[in-house]
Amino acid sequence: MLFEIKNKIDEIGYLCDEVKTFCNANHISNEKYHDIVLILDEMVTNIIMYAYPDGGEYIFSVEIEKTNDNFVNITIVDNGIAFDPLAKDDPNTSSGIEEREIGGLGIFLVKQLSECIEYSRIDEHNKLNIKVAIVKKEENNGS
Amino acid sequence: MEVKTEDNSGVIILTPMGRVDTSTAKIFEDSVMAAADTNGKIAVSFDSIDYISSAGLRVVLMLGKKLKASNGTLVLINMPDKIYSVFKMSGFDKILKICATFDEAKPLFG
Repeated sequence: MLFEIKNKIDEIGYLCDEVKTFCNANHISNEKYHDIVLILDEMVTNIIMYAYPDGGEYIFSVEIEKTNDNFVNITIVDNGIAFDPLAKDDPNTSSGIEEREIGGLGIFLVKQLSECIEYSRIDEHNKLNIKVAIVKKEENNGS
Repeated sequence: MEVKTEDNSGVIILTPMGRVDTSTAKIFEDSVMAAADTNGKIAVSFDSIDYISSAGLRVVLMLGKKLKASNGTLVLINMPDKIYSVFKMSGFDKILKICATFDEAKPLFG
């Protein structure tokens, strides 16, 4: 399933609805729908907010597909400014409430919820591949 | 997205409904901050949202900081497992009070 997303924050709601349809059609549980939609929200929001600082209207692509070995592959490609989400330090999740800062939390959550994330910068485009397991590993092995 | 507000024996219970994402976080923020301006005892109920992104978590953290600074009390209640796991991953379970139900939260408001 391929989506063309405008760099407008209202697009998140549209994407969530489409992902719900995708998950229902592929018999993906509500729990995994939750993880997939949270991952997409965080990464797509980053692009909408920061990839196009000139304020112009742009379109980038989000592709989501279920593989035969029970993964969901998410591929996001944008032609905004170079940004490697994996280069950021993880937030300190053990600091007290007064010192606690929110920066970097979105990407940290994406890392926690996915099997692997790959970033590449090719021909002036950011390409992000995120792999999400939709069946627990034990179940995958048939045990 | 909207936020339902209810007064239960002096505690304001706020229930965000729908999606708490970047496009709706401002509505969530305005509602909870306005409530915290008038009342120091706040419970936020999470049983009516689809998911919470880091934009929503930021608002919960801001509310927690504000109430901490004003000697108020914030308790998060009715959290489905998926939402709880996001709070736990973020380390928020260690800095915010989380209870299964409002009844369980009541004694924390004194």
